Amino acid sequence: MTDLAKKMILVVDDEPTVCKSIREALLREDYDVDTALGGEDALRLSAKKKYDVFLVDLMMPGISGLDLLKMLKSECPSSRIIMITGYPTMKNTLQAMQTGAYDFLPKPFLPSTLRNLVAKALGGSGDTGSNPAG
Amino acid sequence: MPMRGIFRRFLDQSLRRKLILSFLAVITMGGVITLIIGTRIEHQTIISLAEAKVRHDLASAWMVYREKLNSIRELVLLSADREFIAEALRTGRPNGVAARLDGIRKEYGLDTLTLADARGRVVVRSRHVEVSGDDQSGDPFIARALNGQVTAGTQIVSPGELIKDGTDLAERAYFEFVPTPMAAERPENHEENGMMLKAAAPVTDEGGALLGVLYGGLLFNRNYDLVDRVKEIVFKGEKHKGHDIGTATLFQNDLRIATNVLDDQGNRAVGTRVSREVNEAVLRRGGLYVGRAFVVTAWYITAYEPIRDIDDRIIGMLYVGMLERPYIELRNRVMATFAGLAGVCALFLLGLLSFVARRITQPLAIMAVAADKIAGGDLTHRLEFGGKDEIGQLAHAFNSMTADLHDAREDLTQWGRTLERRVEERTRQLRETQDHLIRSEKLASLGKMAAGVAHEINNPLTAILINAHLLLERCGDHPPSRESLTLIAEETTRCAQIVSGLLNFARQTPAREALADINDIIERTIQLLEKQAAVRNIQIEKNLDRSLPWVAIDKNKIQQVFSNLAINACEAMPEGGTLWVTSGLSRDGTSLEIIFVDTGVGIPKENIPKLFDPFFTTKNFGTGLGLAVSYGIIRQRGGAIDVRSEVGRGATFTVRIPLESGADKSEQSEDMS
Repeated sequence: MTDLAKKMILVVDDEPTVCKSIREALLREDYDVDTALGGEDALRLSAKKKYDVFLVDLMMPGISGLDLLKMLKSECPSSRIIMITGYPTMKNTLQAMQTGAYDFLPKPFLPSTLRNLVAKALGGSGDTGSNPAG
Repeated sequence: MPMRGIFRRFLDQSLRRKLILSFLAVITMGGVITLIIGTRIEHQTIISLAEAKVRHDLASAWMVYREKLNSIRELVLLSADREFIAEALRTGRPNGVAARLDGIRKEYGLDTLTLADARGRVVVRSRHVEVSGDDQSGDPFIARALNGQVTAGTQIVSPGELIKDGTDLAERAYFEFVPTPMAAERPENHEENGMMLKAAAPVTDEGGALLGVLYGGLLFNRNYDLVDRVKEIVFKGEKHKGHDIGTATLFQNDLRIATNVLDDQGNRAVGTRVSREVNEAVLRRGGLYVGRAFVVTAWYITAYEPIRDIDDRIIGMLYVGMLERPYIELRNRVMATFAGLAGVCALFLLGLLSFVARRITQPLAIMAVAADKIAGGDLTHRLEFGGKDEIGQLAHAFNSMTADLHDAREDLTQWGRTLERRVEERTRQLRETQDHLIRSEKLASLGKMAAGVAHEINNPLTAILINAHLLLERCGDHPPSRESLTLIAEETTRCAQIVSGLLNFARQTPAREALADINDIIERTIQLLEKQAAVRNIQIEKNLDRSLPWVAIDKNKIQQVFSNLAINACEAMPEGGTLWVTSGLSRDGTSLEIIFVDTGVGIPKENIPKLFDPFFTTKNFGTGLGLAVSYGIIRQRGGAIDVRSEVGRGATFTVRIPLESGADKSEQSEDMS
């Protein structure tokens, strides 16, 4: 009953190969995965569909990952947003977590790690999950 | 020049000698001047006193002289009034008169007493009755008496007249000149005239008619009554060493005719003459002479005054004189007393001066010695005389100056002693700082580059890693593909690890400092390694200073550093060995020092500078980032890591962590931006 509707995931990364790889990895789990190559795309898509989980690259040209995080948090408050970055710094991490990111995933990562994290994000009830990034 | 030489020599003397010499000169000069002036004044006083006295004595002598003259005048005058004389003249019968006149003459000690008639012819010569009838009216005395005047005075009498009263009288008057050294030249060599006190009085009858003249005289020549009487009255016979102090003389012209001045033989010095000087002053110029004069054999203080006849012509001199010697001796005595007193005073002054000079110069001499000592380097020398005068103040100032000098030198010495050490220390620190700086900059730029590269590489790695795994999931059990895919996945993972290490190194995430015991961290590090080390036959020895203070550090990071160093040490000892870990305070007490000493293969000299460079490794495994990251962590905390090593002799890594958390803010903030 609960799984009648496929979970909607949007991957936002300026690297097409990264977007594609993540999508491939998640499609195996029977999620509905969309990709966006920038903040504008992501916002446009999120306006049309309701995504359960966003995977957002922190460092992107145009709208930065952090700004996008803020916008998504206000537009889709029930969605969970996992930040991805190739250069995790304390500053980024802290800011992201304080802004409301669900978790933080440093590149590169194994498909299993990705799936586990996404499953966790989807499985938890709403916003109440404890912050794992401590 | 010689004066200057003497002066220069004087200046070279010691201060005390100079003082004494100066005062001595002043005293001597003062004494001499005083003595000279005193002598003058003394002499003047004594002599002028003597002169005043002799002047007074001369007046007294004149009194005696006039008294004598007056007595002759009285005698003649009274006798002229006697009846028998008038009778004889009136009657023209002089018989019997001669004898009575001669009686009077002898009684009163006259040399002549003669009666003449009214025309001036001699009637009776009482001394020499055989000669009479000669005309005496030409004689000024007789002439005046014939005019009724009683006349008295002094007269030069020619030998012709003298002889009329007897040859003995002429003989008494006669003098051969006795040669006298200082007398004026005279053409003649003898004196025939005589000098007489003479008085003439007219003889008259009751009616006052002139009957004749009575005249009488006293020949001075060789008559010593007057001079001796003067001596007796005026000088009262005072003697000095057997000599009469006072003398009186009658001069006929410049010739001594009656005197009590004695010659060498002790005879009366008649026949000698007066000195030229007196002659000139008294006989020629008719003045009074008072002063020193050489009289026959000795110096006298004398007074001479002219004797004049009744026509006011100068015919001789009256002299009184006092032997000068007693006055000179008196003066000498006074002077001697004076000089003696002056000498005693001078000696006393000299003593006083010597004492004062010593009081002044002795401290100076001591100071000079002290100054010498100080100049020679003995700055502990102190002067020990007090006193409130200038010398005391000087000594005090001297002492405090010396003390200051001493302190200053101590400071200098101390400073000099430490200077070299400090220079070395500073040089070493500078070199270290420079090394650290270069290394830090190298690391910073490398870090930035690494961060950029890592970020870019991470994206493709992500794609590769995910796809490799996706393929593995799909290919099932198909061995050849699976093997290749596994390899790809593993190597990609390795790449990811390298990049992660790079990022770790570049990132240097901010330290989370908390107070911790460094020994605790060391223990924990070693605990993790011990088993592994034991397997490889490596012993780990700890030597930890338990009294070390806690410091603010990021425990995890520091543990990472220790772990890196310990692992490196173990890997340097493939054959086994010992790792010593020591903790303690640095020598200057400002840092903790944790020292890792191994007995491993050591590090070649050329590798030491590169040890902390990222990616420098001598191992076949590892990223080459361990030491670089460790270094970065310690630098971030404000500390340093130093290495000393030689090939075959192991290596020593020293980690210094300042007690004060001087975390390098720039590195931290760079990361935060």
